[in-house]
Amino acid sequence: MRKGVKTTITYIAWYLILIFFFILCVEPVVWMVFGSFKDRAEFYANIWGPPKVYHFENYVKAWNNAGLGRKILNSIFVTFFALLISIPVNSCAAYVLARMRFKYAKLIYFYLLTGIMIPSGIMAIPTFSVALRINLVNSLFGLVLIFAAQSIAMGMFIMRSFFISLPKGLEEAALIDGCTRFKCFTHIILPLTKPGIMTQVIFSGLTIWNEYLLSSIMIRSENLQTIPLGLASFVGKYTVNYPELFAALVIVTVPVIIIYILAQKSFIEGLSAGAIKG
Amino acid sequence: MKDLLKKKEKAFPYLMCLPALLLFTLFITLPFINGLWISFHRWDGFSPMKWIGLKNYRFVLTDEIFWKAISNTFIYAFFVTLIKNIIGLGLAIILAKKIRFRTAFRTAVYMPVTFSYVVVGILWVWILNPNFGLLNHFLRALGLDFLIRGWLSEPRYALASVIGVDIWKWIGFHMVLYLAGIQAIPKQLYEAAEIDGASAWQRFCHVTIPQLNSTIIVNVLLSITGAFVANYDIVKMMTDGGPFHSTEVSLTYIVSTAFRYSSVGKANAMSMILFLLVLVFGLLQLKIMTREDVYE
Repeated sequence: MRKGVKTTITYIAWYLILIFFFILCVEPVVWMVFGSFKDRAEFYANIWGPPKVYHFENYVKAWNNAGLGRKILNSIFVTFFALLISIPVNSCAAYVLARMRFKYAKLIYFYLLTGIMIPSGIMAIPTFSVALRINLVNSLFGLVLIFAAQSIAMGMFIMRSFFISLPKGLEEAALIDGCTRFKCFTHIILPLTKPGIMTQVIFSGLTIWNEYLLSSIMIRSENLQTIPLGLASFVGKYTVNYPELFAALVIVTVPVIIIYILAQKSFIEGLSAGAIKG
Repeated sequence: MKDLLKKKEKAFPYLMCLPALLLFTLFITLPFINGLWISFHRWDGFSPMKWIGLKNYRFVLTDEIFWKAISNTFIYAFFVTLIKNIIGLGLAIILAKKIRFRTAFRTAVYMPVTFSYVVVGILWVWILNPNFGLLNHFLRALGLDFLIRGWLSEPRYALASVIGVDIWKWIGFHMVLYLAGIQAIPKQLYEAAEIDGASAWQRFCHVTIPQLNSTIIVNVLLSITGAFVANYDIVKMMTDGGPFHSTEVSLTYIVSTAFRYSSVGKANAMSMILFLLVLVFGLLQLKIMTREDVYE
């Protein structure tokens, strides 16, 4: 009997803790959505309630004033092309490093891996200094190349451990039949690598999509800004219209939240990928 | 003909690595070496560089604000690492039990992980706003008026507030990693401990913790390196290093040195010093990642 009471109490305590953290994580988002529909007067007066009147025009204004369309396109451009360059490039390297024995394999592997040791925060000023000299400042193409390079180390690492996990017999038969290595790679192995690529798309994709530090020092003109830059400069502008700002926040976060909820499993696996190996 | 074929075969793996090596060398290795080179020069980013040897390093190491920024970075890293891991592990232990709504809970707590720091920063600056913010409003409603603070405007609380927000963003991430670790612990270990009469606390200390050893190391390393080299965005958005440099961290000070004070040489020197500070954690991370590597 006493034991039963004790377990009930522990369970209640657990649920209270969980509910506390649930509210802590969800409430700011709910509050952001509420705020985005209020008018300015209500925003300051009715702080945590739902809006009395829904002002959908905040969204139209936010979209136009912040030039969100352009910024979303810029973000898509940078993320898409950085991944389009990085993934094939690191997959090729990862494949031979996983499957073939050659003289400098180990050296190349560890050379590329040092990228994990040099975090992008530290590289910001040195990268910018080089970009100044070779005229890559204020160019989305420059961002694409830098982000692609920065995601090589982790991408190669993820793909290599993925290739190692595939059975060797897969290509052996084809090799004996006279298929070249490259054909083996493109025709037999690549079609199987969807999960590895998915992991990279999420891991590197989200990193690039949310990147702020380097973009903020590289991009100078407003029409080249990515989403994080656009939001940040929205805050810096004259007097901030908060309901509009919140509408802009909703416009850029809600799609990510929806994709995350729909593809939750891949998201969590993808983002843990770098860590899980340990 | 056969020789050529053999040569081609031999060159194949190198050709496959070539694009990765090129891209990596051009945009990581060269900038890094170049940054090291620039750190020995006086340079404002536009005029010609002037060699000044180790002077930048001497300037930096005698710069009080730099030391303030470094000490803030250490405080930041310490508390962020400690609290993220305690909360992450605690929640994971609860979630590992037979709990209803586990998925809903995980979905919610993991959500901030997917947000950019810019969004998180803007949102929380407003939550912590002294007059119109959710937090003070909430405290007032609970009758806890004495707790009301200018969370970001008072130097005493600003750093703690930023640390709190950083923790908020990452709890879900660490919770998920710990949960995976806990679920991988063989059930028999707990059964055996229970037969031996171990209490819940003893089971936690003598089964869970030792079994989670490597998971803990990974989580701690990730939070440390994150706190050293990934906190620019959130500090920039929330306080921009202020008030009175009370939230200045290494990265914010490096960037303002380069742009506000136009000392690109000095900023590069600071980047190199920061690199040396995190090098040991980077090496550890690399070692753990490659520990199971097969190289026959």
